Amino acid sequence: MARYILRRLLSLIPTVLGVTIVIFLLLRLIPGDPAVAMLGEHAAKENVERIREQLGLNRPLFLDREALRQGDLRRFLDSQYIRYLGRLLRGDLGSSIHRRIPIAEELKQRFPATVELALVSMAIAILVGLPVGVLSAARHNSVLDHVSMVLSLIGVSMPIFWLGLMEIMLFAVFLGWFPVGGRLDHTFTVPTLTGLILLDSLLTGHWAALADGLKHLAMPALALATIPMAIIARMTRASMLDVLQADYIRTAHAKGLREQVVLYRHALKNAFLPIVTIIGIQMGNLLAGAVLTETIFAWPGIGKWGMYDAIVGRDYPVVQSVTLLIALVIVFINLVVDISYAFLDPRIHYE
Amino acid sequence: MSTRRFMTIILVSMLAVAVLSVSCRGPAPKPAAPTGGTFIFGRGADSVQLDPAIVTDGESFRVTGQCLEPLYQYEPGSTKPIPALATECTPNATSTEWTCKLRQGVKFHDGTDFNADAVIFNFERWRFTNNPYHFASQVFEYYEYMWGGFDDASIITAVQKVDDYTVKFVLSAPLAPFLANLAMDMFAISSPAAIQKHGENYGTPAVGCVGTGPFRFKEWVEGDHITVVANEDYWGGRPSIDQIIWRVIPDDSARFLALKAGDIHALEQAVVEDLAAAESDPNMYVLTRPALNTAYLAFNFRIKEFQDIRVRKAVAHAINRKALVENFYGKYGEVATNFLPPLVWGHNKDIKDWEYNPELSKQLLAEAGFPNGLSEVTIAEDILDAEGNVVYKAGDKIPLKLYYMPVTRFYYPSPKEIGEAMAADLAKAGMNAQLELAGDWPTYLGLRRDGLLVGLYMLGWGGDNGDPDNFHNYFFGGLSSEDEVKQPDPREGFYANQEVARLLYLAAVNPNQAEREKLYKQVEQLLHDDVARIWIAHNNTPLIFSKKVSGYVPQPVGADYYKWVKIEQ
Repeated sequence: MARYILRRLLSLIPTVLGVTIVIFLLLRLIPGDPAVAMLGEHAAKENVERIREQLGLNRPLFLDREALRQGDLRRFLDSQYIRYLGRLLRGDLGSSIHRRIPIAEELKQRFPATVELALVSMAIAILVGLPVGVLSAARHNSVLDHVSMVLSLIGVSMPIFWLGLMEIMLFAVFLGWFPVGGRLDHTFTVPTLTGLILLDSLLTGHWAALADGLKHLAMPALALATIPMAIIARMTRASMLDVLQADYIRTAHAKGLREQVVLYRHALKNAFLPIVTIIGIQMGNLLAGAVLTETIFAWPGIGKWGMYDAIVGRDYPVVQSVTLLIALVIVFINLVVDISYAFLDPRIHYE
Repeated sequence: MSTRRFMTIILVSMLAVAVLSVSCRGPAPKPAAPTGGTFIFGRGADSVQLDPAIVTDGESFRVTGQCLEPLYQYEPGSTKPIPALATECTPNATSTEWTCKLRQGVKFHDGTDFNADAVIFNFERWRFTNNPYHFASQVFEYYEYMWGGFDDASIITAVQKVDDYTVKFVLSAPLAPFLANLAMDMFAISSPAAIQKHGENYGTPAVGCVGTGPFRFKEWVEGDHITVVANEDYWGGRPSIDQIIWRVIPDDSARFLALKAGDIHALEQAVVEDLAAAESDPNMYVLTRPALNTAYLAFNFRIKEFQDIRVRKAVAHAINRKALVENFYGKYGEVATNFLPPLVWGHNKDIKDWEYNPELSKQLLAEAGFPNGLSEVTIAEDILDAEGNVVYKAGDKIPLKLYYMPVTRFYYPSPKEIGEAMAADLAKAGMNAQLELAGDWPTYLGLRRDGLLVGLYMLGWGGDNGDPDNFHNYFFGGLSSEDEVKQPDPREGFYANQEVARLLYLAAVNPNQAEREKLYKQVEQLLHDDVARIWIAHNNTPLIFSKKVSGYVPQPVGADYYKWVKIEQ
């Protein structure tokens, strides 16, 4: 097992290299450059050229063939990609083109916000989706089954931005239960340990901040949880229906075991493989796909900043770093999912 | 395997993700901030940085304008420069030297003195590329743009210390908009001590801005909020509110709902439906920022048909601008007859606007040789891209295109819909323009810069300093002497008008405002007569406030003043 994990971790290297090349190239294939995006209507030929030079954007993308012909090997390698890779190897993500602030610093603030939102959403999705799926399968074709499946269909197809605005209308404007957006009221300051506000305020005993953090988290987490919740419910139901047909379930019933035991001990365990797979995929989606939720609820995470704003502003280093980070997290989640298979199904062995 | 063991795996993996999120140590817990007197403003985007010299976005100036002050500032609600950190600036006879008396007894927020040395430190930092504080990673865009360039290219050739509270600016040539430039947010004076202490980190979230303004920087939680607190020792008297918080709420509708829920007190930028709701809401009111912007429709003059003034006139008469303003700007917009908005001196109100008349358009087209209308146009001369490749060849026939902007800007509230309406208007006059989405905003601007928007294209301008020069010169001027020949600029659709460029040069070096005004009026008339562009609209941007707020002054140019804001508890 340890060897398998090690091998998987080693395979990270080509993956990461591949991600850097693809993202690097894709970004530069879109027309329009950072200097123009920065200057807006004011852009003039001269200042755009100067800024391009200052940012190193006038260097060739991969290799300077012109310099090779002149026998200048140093210059041959002095390309945008190699500069980027060199910095990356030294652990330097570089600075944002627009803000001239190290990206690592901004990620340190923003990534935990996205992780916190994704984790809580996933917890909600699993805690609700799983039991609903199991019950629907157990009461196959009952009213409960039909109602929950129709609801989950609505859940999958509901646009998040609309759901978010409706939540705000109801819970913030009319009922006044929750704040409209943000992560924590400005009157609170929680010392940063992990960057996850709930965890930090819990660890430092900052109860008022914990309550406030929960209040801020409630609406966005609910909105973000809808789709994975619905998908998990549907997947659990389908997988359980399959398993419930099996002979050993009938045997278990015949033995006189309580239904709870049959469902959760015997059936769910065997139905779990596809569910875990889907949870893994959804977790990656939550991290990468929180753009809309973060926009509606003014959640200061990496979604809108690192994906939308950075792409529109052609802030190459930011897009590169955030994509790389998300790729790493997804690879990591996949690894965890694969390892969990071995625990779930003893027939699966990793050499 | 038991469920418990499975849950353990899940929990462990979740924890691992949590650990992966880079952890760091922050400041010690602070007691809650004082309540009462906090003004919370909702906005769509965060500030880029709080060193105004190195940024170009309004959201940065909104904050730096409270914590830093320039030597001059703009009169509340107008574009007229009035003294701020300087008590007066007077030119010599030729307007090539300006002597500024500085306000005495003013201190920066870090306790150091504001004086001639501080002014010189700032100007030299901006100007000299080899200055130790002119960091290579930073782009001092506005210094270059407003003062002609860096180092030797700078119009300001020296800032001399006459005494501790007097500085003299020496210019390489007379510069009429000198005071208007001086008053811009970008040229606000920062504490030299703070820049020396923090270096490249000055202006970042960890440091913020250190100036002489009515509010001092307190905290910046990125992507969430920035807080400034009242400067107890402000030379103009302490502001009445204790603190201002700018909160970032990117979504327009969510921001309005935040105002409705009482989470914020004011906002800028709202969708039309929410504006209507705000006007009828007993707890809200709307103020407008006077328009210092112009939306226009430009011609690409490398299109042979557009070189014929009759065709350009046909376009001008075909577009129903009044209907456009009514439908898309509502009561906040006004039809533009000049490039200069009415509040800028030099605006020529005697210009007889093009009347909306599709029949006249058809007639003009027929006279120009297109009795059956226009749906295809011809490239008059090769158009190259930035690398020098020919993209359009002379003689190429292409469909008549209307490029609409891919993003909403303050001057074009819904560009796609406005583009569709203009295309429909053109069709009524026999011109079948194909609506064209050229790509996203940077792509659009890039194509515009290289003259590759081959047809009619939408764009606009927002003034930087309220001086007419700042509107006209970038587009139609740029001469460095009276007899220089104006070259067609791809960025401006290859439009070049020698007489206009000459008059703009004369106006830029003439210190007499009355004479300059006449010149700008003349320029406006010439541009109108030549149908250089079609001016569409000026937009007064609305801001929505809670009734608890009073004393807010929206500025046409420069950061809004918050120092007179009062808030009912």
